[in-house]
Amino acid sequence: MIIPILAAFAAGLLVILSRQVNGRLSMSTTPLISSFWNHFVGFVFLTVVGLVLGGLIPANIADMPWWIYTGGAIGVVFVAAGSWLITRIGAVNSTLLVIAGQMVFGIIFDLLRGAPVTIWAAALGVILILAGMALTQRRR
Amino acid sequence: MTSPPAQRPNPLHLLAAFASGGLLTLAIFVNGEAGRLGGAMFSSWLAHGVGTIVAIVFLAVVWRGQRAAAAEATAKIGKAPLWAYIGGLLGAVTVMLTSTSVNSPLALAGTLALGLAGQVVLSLAADFWGLLGLPKRRLDLRDAGAVILIATGSLLIILFGLGAA
Repeated sequence: MIIPILAAFAAGLLVILSRQVNGRLSMSTTPLISSFWNHFVGFVFLTVVGLVLGGLIPANIADMPWWIYTGGAIGVVFVAAGSWLITRIGAVNSTLLVIAGQMVFGIIFDLLRGAPVTIWAAALGVILILAGMALTQRRR
Repeated sequence: MTSPPAQRPNPLHLLAAFASGGLLTLAIFVNGEAGRLGGAMFSSWLAHGVGTIVAIVFLAVVWRGQRAAAAEATAKIGKAPLWAYIGGLLGAVTVMLTSTSVNSPLALAGTLALGLAGQVVLSLAADFWGLLGLPKRRLDLRDAGAVILIATGSLLIILFGLGAA
């Protein structure tokens, strides 16, 4: 059980490390160029790993819905936005606001598509998140 | 870069960050479906491949402006160190780690909750010490309050809010 716990925690660390590194690249280039390198380097790496391990491309790829190809396009905008933001509002604010948006939009998205949502916990969670967001804005 | 910049961030920037979290929700849903149909490695490979092509198309459209802006940035800040190019490598490893933990007893909720903890810990450290060539930011009680409120609210949603009670 210790391995998956460490893996999940390390994944969170890497999300931030990756945003920092992309942000640094964007300072010497642009956020869009930085986002290109992020995707290109990741693609080359995953292609090599996939060739070594084999079975990268599933047999049912032709049957998949067209919109599974849109994830990468959304990712380009998200990564470019992350680089642009972290150099302006810092790591903590980026992390908090992105998580806040992910949670609030996640609940709206689940409600819209009819996925089960436990209302009391979701509502209380959103209230706490909005309060936290208000706090990042408060003048001292 | 040693003196912390103004502490109060531009509200429009915060709003943009909040909106980008919505993009993340969509991307995770789409990539999650690709992963369910074809495996986590395939999903990540596909997202990076499509992303590479889309980024090239975007860059081609706005290339003149991008080239000028990049040249100006390099002249001001200097060339990026080699390690600044490994963001995609870290992202690819992230997918491997999360697919390990999602398929353990931690499941998705535990993975998200622990990932959130990792994100908060490293971003606090990054701002405090100004890690990896990004500006240092002074942290105060207001930051601590925002961290506690947003993290608690997110954990409530992850652990109890999503899925049926």
